[in-house]
Amino acid sequence: MHNNNVVKTPTPSITTTEKPLLADSLSASTPPKPSVGVAGLVALATSGCGGGGGSSGSTGGGNQTSSAASSVAPQPLYTKAEAARFLLQAQFTATDEEILAVRTSGYSAWLTSQFNAPIDQTGAAWLTASGHTTPDDKGNYFNPVFGDWMAWNQLLTGTGQVRKRVALALSEFFVVSLSPIDGFWPAMLIAHYWDLLNAKAFGNFRNLLEDISLNPAMGFFLNTKGNLKEDIASGRQPDENYAREIMQLFSIGLYELNLDGSVKTNAQGHPIETYVQSDITNLARVFTGYDWDYSKVTQQNGFEPYPVPSPEFTGGRMAFDANKHSNLAVSFLGTNIPANTPGADALRIALDTLFNHPNTGPFFAKQMIQRLVTSNPSPAYVQRVATAFNNNGANVRGDLKAVWRAILTDTEARTLLNNTIAGKLREPIVRLTQIARTFNVSSSNGKWEIYDLSNADTHLGQAPLRSPSVFNFFRPGYVPPNTALATHALLAPEFQLHNETSTAGYINMMTSFIQSGYADVKLNLSAIESLAADAKALVEWLNLHLTANQLSTATTDLIQQALEANPVISASSTSAKYDRLYAAILLVAACPEYLIQK
Amino acid sequence: MHINKINDMTRRAFLKRAGAVSMMGVGAPLALNLAGISEAAAFEASDYKALVCVFLFGGNDYANTVVPYDTANYDLYSSIRGGGAGRTAGGIALGRNALTATALKTITPQTLTNNIQYALSPELKSMASLFNSGKAAVQLNIGPLLTPLTLAQYTGSDRVKYPLPPKLFSHNDQQSIWQALNSEGATRGWGGYMGDLALSSNSLSTLTCISASGNAVFLAGNNALQYQISPSGAIPIWAAKGSAFNSSAVSNALKKLITQSSPHLLENELAAVTKRSMDLEEIVNAALNPVNLSTSFDRDSKKNSLADQLKVVARLIGARNVLGARRQVFFVSLGGFDTHDGLNENHPKLLAQVDEAMNAFYQATVELGVSEKVTSFTASDFGRTLASNGDGSDHGWGGHHFIVGGAVNGGQFYGTAPQISLTSDDQVGQGRLLPSTSVDQLAATLARWFGVNSSEINSILPNVSRFASSNLGFMK
Repeated sequence: MHNNNVVKTPTPSITTTEKPLLADSLSASTPPKPSVGVAGLVALATSGCGGGGGSSGSTGGGNQTSSAASSVAPQPLYTKAEAARFLLQAQFTATDEEILAVRTSGYSAWLTSQFNAPIDQTGAAWLTASGHTTPDDKGNYFNPVFGDWMAWNQLLTGTGQVRKRVALALSEFFVVSLSPIDGFWPAMLIAHYWDLLNAKAFGNFRNLLEDISLNPAMGFFLNTKGNLKEDIASGRQPDENYAREIMQLFSIGLYELNLDGSVKTNAQGHPIETYVQSDITNLARVFTGYDWDYSKVTQQNGFEPYPVPSPEFTGGRMAFDANKHSNLAVSFLGTNIPANTPGADALRIALDTLFNHPNTGPFFAKQMIQRLVTSNPSPAYVQRVATAFNNNGANVRGDLKAVWRAILTDTEARTLLNNTIAGKLREPIVRLTQIARTFNVSSSNGKWEIYDLSNADTHLGQAPLRSPSVFNFFRPGYVPPNTALATHALLAPEFQLHNETSTAGYINMMTSFIQSGYADVKLNLSAIESLAADAKALVEWLNLHLTANQLSTATTDLIQQALEANPVISASSTSAKYDRLYAAILLVAACPEYLIQK
Repeated sequence: MHINKINDMTRRAFLKRAGAVSMMGVGAPLALNLAGISEAAAFEASDYKALVCVFLFGGNDYANTVVPYDTANYDLYSSIRGGGAGRTAGGIALGRNALTATALKTITPQTLTNNIQYALSPELKSMASLFNSGKAAVQLNIGPLLTPLTLAQYTGSDRVKYPLPPKLFSHNDQQSIWQALNSEGATRGWGGYMGDLALSSNSLSTLTCISASGNAVFLAGNNALQYQISPSGAIPIWAAKGSAFNSSAVSNALKKLITQSSPHLLENELAAVTKRSMDLEEIVNAALNPVNLSTSFDRDSKKNSLADQLKVVARLIGARNVLGARRQVFFVSLGGFDTHDGLNENHPKLLAQVDEAMNAFYQATVELGVSEKVTSFTASDFGRTLASNGDGSDHGWGGHHFIVGGAVNGGQFYGTAPQISLTSDDQVGQGRLLPSTSVDQLAATLARWFGVNSSEINSILPNVSRFASSNLGFMK
């Protein structure tokens, strides 16, 4: 793999509302602590290096960290709000340390540092360390809830937030859901899938496409596991599920696209379908012959009337059995795979065909932009990201680092548009993760006992790795019916989860979570404790760190006045102070100006 | 032949709706009522009627739901699905003996294709009883169509004369077509169009179209909006009801923040939904609380989300007079029907839930004295293949569906029974049924019963006039 990340699009740092702070303002911010995964950068900043290139309106994509040491304080490249806004698109939180690091190193260099950061602990390793992979007499090997605990532990703890944020976005594109997975070790199955997305999030799309195709959890979810070749005598046909969904959802989509993501039309003005049923029936043959790999499994007796396998089959790739693989010729999308082509070769040819299809770049690019930045990117923005997918600048196609960089440093991402349609609805998983991490969430006993939060009446209406189907929690083309959004032909995918009950369920859950946490999982408000007696400062702190200053003055005034209705001074009781802190966080977390991330 | 009426309809509706939305404004004083304009004169309803769409997400396997039972057709079915010797279960075929208790007996004699007789899945015992007592009907081989279609027309190339529904066999698109007669991205469904006509019949027009199952395009009309209810009723936002963290000021500020209008369209829509939620919560719960049904929705102590949803729908119907409702359209659903694998294990469990839930719902309407005023019907993404892929079936097209209620001409089959074959001309390969009845015809039949007049039916369902009849006859 090439590692040469060339950002081809100019990325001026512009907002319509703010100017970059001067260097002396930086000293007023919280002193950097080397406690985050950007320690190297923070060290750079505190030693006074890296001030080069930091003029206002400079490009985010350049290399600003190459100048020699000097005693001058680093010149921040962006305002705090600009840096926070970038961080809240690229990951979950915007702490003071992270804001400082971004302002000092620049967007692109900061991203590079994140791309190079190692994975700290995998989901599978956490399950193992927590004892959830050693069979017990409670039948833990059948229990999927450890998969929920694993997912939340991964999202709420550890470093490598950018990796995890984009892995979450990938999990909503290459969807596998824990919900239908049953049998032995469902938690390990979903953990290995999550770990795969994390491990390959900064790799190449083509490799990822192959890895997910052969992943055991995906094999279960979309039925490649146990998929058998045709049988003329009985009329049995290969299962078509994976062949259909890898085309419709994981690579090319239904209609031919232009590079900018718009739908191509034929002479009659109709969309052009990318494939027909016979393409699916043919491609289905490629995905026959696979099953879970039990070769490394040991059987353990004494738990059930039958042996319990060890969980090795849940990771790696599925096993291939040539005897169960269709040897028929495959003709799909204009590619012909001759009869009797070995299974691995057939798979390679098929995946190459999908990977190299002109749709794949724009199809993937637009949805990733929607996940991270905005529901309604301009065609030009989609085209710039799709171009980076097609060629990272070093003639490599499918370089995911180039895709993330193109999305996050694009002028359209970095410009705070002063219009009435910008941004997207933060999805509930991201809201909870952001707030929990911002307030130093911890577990009192290490269990992270957060169950499936999919119930919209009582919880989030969304839970990581728990999509109700392969079509994700929401569709990229979702338009809320009979709304002004529909009138203006605007997409709003996350609104598919928003209705009269889910809006109440979310606010109720946050009311409880902010104050009491969830099971063993609790917030720590020490970061804002000292602001309890200063409502204005408290609201300012929350506005910057949770919304990148996207609350209007009217809103911050309203919140401040509401908080001041119950006076709190430094001598006030702890409970009075904390009531104010809880209230302040809730008012922000429930506020539409926060929920719509511009 | 001019086929693409959908586009005209969409454009006309678009212009109307643009007006409706701006009229409503975002800061409308109370979200209890929707904009009162409609594309056509609303019907005057003095009685009560409700339609309930029971959507089976994933594509229901029709062949193991309504199963060939006479020996000749059963043997064909068993042969295709890998049944065992002596008509025992095998492959993905059900055993014939297990079907005896659920064999369907028509009220009046009917001769179907190849003299086929049907039984229901052994799990559908109550549904079979409802059929045999005339309270349920089976609509055979129904699916999305834009025009009547033969196999030759399907395989031919004249897409101008013989257009196909977009994106056949694709889950999300076929769900959308069933609900809204167009592929994903459609923003108005035929339940919502009926709701448009019913808005003025209801004291609280926001309670015309109600989902107990998440956002469904089926319920969105030009003016009608989906209102979401949970199995336990409306959900209060506790912190916005007077005190939050020991502060009434905080509670008041919260209420204001989450409901106030905004020039930003996404923020505004977010708040509009929350405002509706809060405006209706106490009204709905006050009406629901006294409604206690003696009908059990839980006969086996197993989890059944469809039963939970239909129970709250029944309770809402029980509260119809308090809420001033005369015409309502409901949407409920059950997922998991995409049985590519494990058909034998999973499909019966799903049908058992359908059976428990739909029977309890019917019995509840009897208890409430409205069994002839409430009609439920099943829908699904698509039927599946008759052919097996080993232990499941793949995406298909047409399927068989149920219509249940006291106003149903039950105990009868409607439509044309398909041959049990992988090669006949009523399927497009692997037993994917080429529908002989369109969703539009089903919708038209239900709409007429609901009170929609003929001209409005043609407006709501612009393609229905291409089919032999807009009245399939299954409603009294």
